[in-house]
Amino acid sequence: DALLPAPQSISILSTNMKHFLTWSPVIIQGATVRYSVEFQGEYEREYANGSWIPISECSLTTATVCNITEDISATVAYKLRVRAELGATRSQWSTTKGFFNRAMTSLTPPLLRAVADGHHLLVELADMGPSFQFRVLYWKKGQESRVQQKVLKEVSSVVHLDTMEAGAEYCVKAQTHVEAINRSSSFSPTQCVRAQGDTSVWLV
Amino acid sequence: SGELYCSLPNPRNVRFESINMKNVLHWSAPEGTGDGVLYKVKYAIYGVGKWIRKPECRNINRTWCDLSSETSDYEEQYYASVKAFLNRTCSDWVETPRFNPLTDTKIDPPMVSVSSTDRSISIILTAPEKWKRSPEEESLSLLQVYPGLQYNVSVLNKKTKKRWFFSISNNTLVVPWLEPGTAYCVSAQIHVSTPLLDSGFSKEYCITTLKDK
Amino acid sequence: KIFHLGACRVSMSMTEIRAGFTAIKAKIQSRDPVRTLSILSHPHSLHKVKSSDRCCMAHQLFTFYVDKVFKHCRTEDSFVNRKISSIANSFLSARRKLRQCHEQNNCVCGEESTEKFKQILANYEGLNVTSAAMKSLGELDILLDWMEKSR
Repeated sequence: DALLPAPQSISILSTNMKHFLTWSPVIIQGATVRYSVEFQGEYEREYANGSWIPISECSLTTATVCNITEDISATVAYKLRVRAELGATRSQWSTTKGFFNRAMTSLTPPLLRAVADGHHLLVELADMGPSFQFRVLYWKKGQESRVQQKVLKEVSSVVHLDTMEAGAEYCVKAQTHVEAINRSSSFSPTQCVRAQGDTSVWLV
Repeated sequence: SGELYCSLPNPRNVRFESINMKNVLHWSAPEGTGDGVLYKVKYAIYGVGKWIRKPECRNINRTWCDLSSETSDYEEQYYASVKAFLNRTCSDWVETPRFNPLTDTKIDPPMVSVSSTDRSISIILTAPEKWKRSPEEESLSLLQVYPGLQYNVSVLNKKTKKRWFFSISNNTLVVPWLEPGTAYCVSAQIHVSTPLLDSGFSKEYCITTLKDK
Repeated sequence: KIFHLGACRVSMSMTEIRAGFTAIKAKIQSRDPVRTLSILSHPHSLHKVKSSDRCCMAHQLFTFYVDKVFKHCRTEDSFVNRKISSIANSFLSARRKLRQCHEQNNCVCGEESTEKFKQILANYEGLNVTSAAMKSLGELDILLDWMEKSR
């Protein structure tokens, strides 16, 4: 087995609770090298004799990336390993240095579109999966001290925030929150929209 | 009465179908058997050591049996089983998977009532009730069974064709500042996050705001 | 979500455990042929545990699953094994939260929870270890349903 070099430069890319294991290809002239990936959670280390669990979608794969999101599904420390396989020959395992905890994922601000529909302030948010909630802050321009908040879980479409005073401008920004790791992203850029109607009419 | 020889094919697809915890056992007739097949039913509380016969479903020719009364305690889980008979032959007993009324029921959409003024609509939502034995029995709203129950409400402006969504925990919603003389259509869905149970959306209830005074 | 287990208030999510269990429930429960015995719900129901004993009961049950159950549930089905791993690792982090209550002395074990847990262990030891572990895993929704009533 030692003839087949182990995959190098293995690393985990994790953004918005989507986790990927990547590694450099093992090059053998004229041959197709395949790879197999296994994972080990804290439970396997501490209570199951350090056992490893294969990820079937990444068994004998020719790709050099594996989506490990489904298996990294607890907020504990994980280890990952990958080896090369060519026919019956297998390389040594290459194991991630240190541990990976999904709490380390990088969280990006949500994609947000503020909408004014008559006197109504609405927001459209790109869905980011079941782990995500959205904390939406909104305020009447000029009244930055009176910010209001709504926490949204289901964002399949245009969500109603509040009603607006005629002709007034309202601003909105949002951040994601992941309850499972108790972390939030930074805020999206602020967007402002204007309610229908003329303020002078409102004052009469 | 002479020994029954159980070589009849088994009833198929034996399962509970449950809506608002009205729990009905359903099955399909054994393959290749025409009319004349009769059935009997028994059920068991999971973890309790005996099967209990259901007299009202003894020697029946229909392929369902209402076990709502027997399975009304949703802190328990259940099995049910069916046996087929035809001309002195019978099938084996065929069991359901384990049935958990709390997680395996389906929930109806909420009832929606809408009223309007010239510039607003008021929406009142009512969660369905858990099945009960008789009208006299005390009602239990599914809101009490699933404390985390929420409502997703869709409001469609028929003129602009724009649809807004609201997610609310209490059962009333007032949408002010609407256009007078405009038709709005409302439909609502129940969402329970854990266990994960979503009803379908109710049919649409449309109402027109009053003309401007 | 905040769980109120007697004096213990702990923020946890059962959603992923529930999702993992739902994905394998049919497969696991079909491997348990014994209808007439339950580990968790008979003769005493979890739902009868009084509020003050809930934290201790929960902590003991999470420890029971981590120490005794999951390791004996390995199957030949890779999908099932991966979901069991997901549940087991989620149990570890949930138990860590419950331990906070232990350390803050909000997780007192009364006579009732001690007695009830003894009964659960007796039910478990009444079967051979693999059957007992698979039956316990198949009853995870009984534990989750009980926990979620404490929200």
